[in-house]
Amino acid sequence: MQNPLARVRGKGSSGGGTHHWRSQRYSALILLLLTTWVLWMGVSLAGADYATASSVMSSPFHAGMAILLAGTVFYHIQLGLQVVIEDYVHLPALEFALLIFVRFACLVAFLISAMAALKLVLGS
Amino acid sequence: MSTSKRPMSPYMLGPYYKFQITSALSILNRITGVFMSVVTAPLLLCWLLALANGEEAYLAVTAWLGSGLGKLVIAASVFSFSFHLFGGIRHLIWDAGWMMEMSQVRSSGWLAIIGSIALSLIVIGAGL
Repeated sequence: MQNPLARVRGKGSSGGGTHHWRSQRYSALILLLLTTWVLWMGVSLAGADYATASSVMSSPFHAGMAILLAGTVFYHIQLGLQVVIEDYVHLPALEFALLIFVRFACLVAFLISAMAALKLVLGS
Repeated sequence: MSTSKRPMSPYMLGPYYKFQITSALSILNRITGVFMSVVTAPLLLCWLLALANGEEAYLAVTAWLGSGLGKLVIAASVFSFSFHLFGGIRHLIWDAGWMMEMSQVRSSGWLAIIGSIALSLIVIGAGL
């Protein structure tokens, strides 16, 4: 997307493949490390009432983990959906629009998650 | 575009290739990833946002999660998480250059299927 149009239009690779490939694996590894915390939270907060859930999420440790998770997840989502869109959407205008949308949506989703987690830990 | 007439490899699912565990699990890893991207992650974001907004919003979200559709979405999310976890571990092992023999690829595939179903049942059982 950031390369000269001539290269993208069938005259060579965009040159960004290795960086994308490595980023996807590194984010996967971080997510793998976060699995235990995700399962722990998922099981302990399933069906939790408001008082329980807000007291858990007001702990700085859990807020930090939630922000780390959101950052890694939405980055991994952006990289993954990008490949899926590039593979299956063959209408150039739609493909481009979807790629831009996914990037912005993931960034906004991360910012909203971080603000919500910070609000919970700092109090309103 | 000038590239549209170039020869392309046939898609892995369809009439050109035999349906087999490798291609089935490959597309399932994508499907579970897309499902979590489009459904699970936004839902978790709604949950966190509702919790930060106060008790009324939180109760509205948890009431929906407790409904029939909510439970179905949670079950599908738990399975997607479990399968994508095992599928991802398989990919990372391959990326390191290990377990590339066809017999190993098939047995790790079955391990991923059994493991993800087992993990899903454990998580759903523990969360009830």
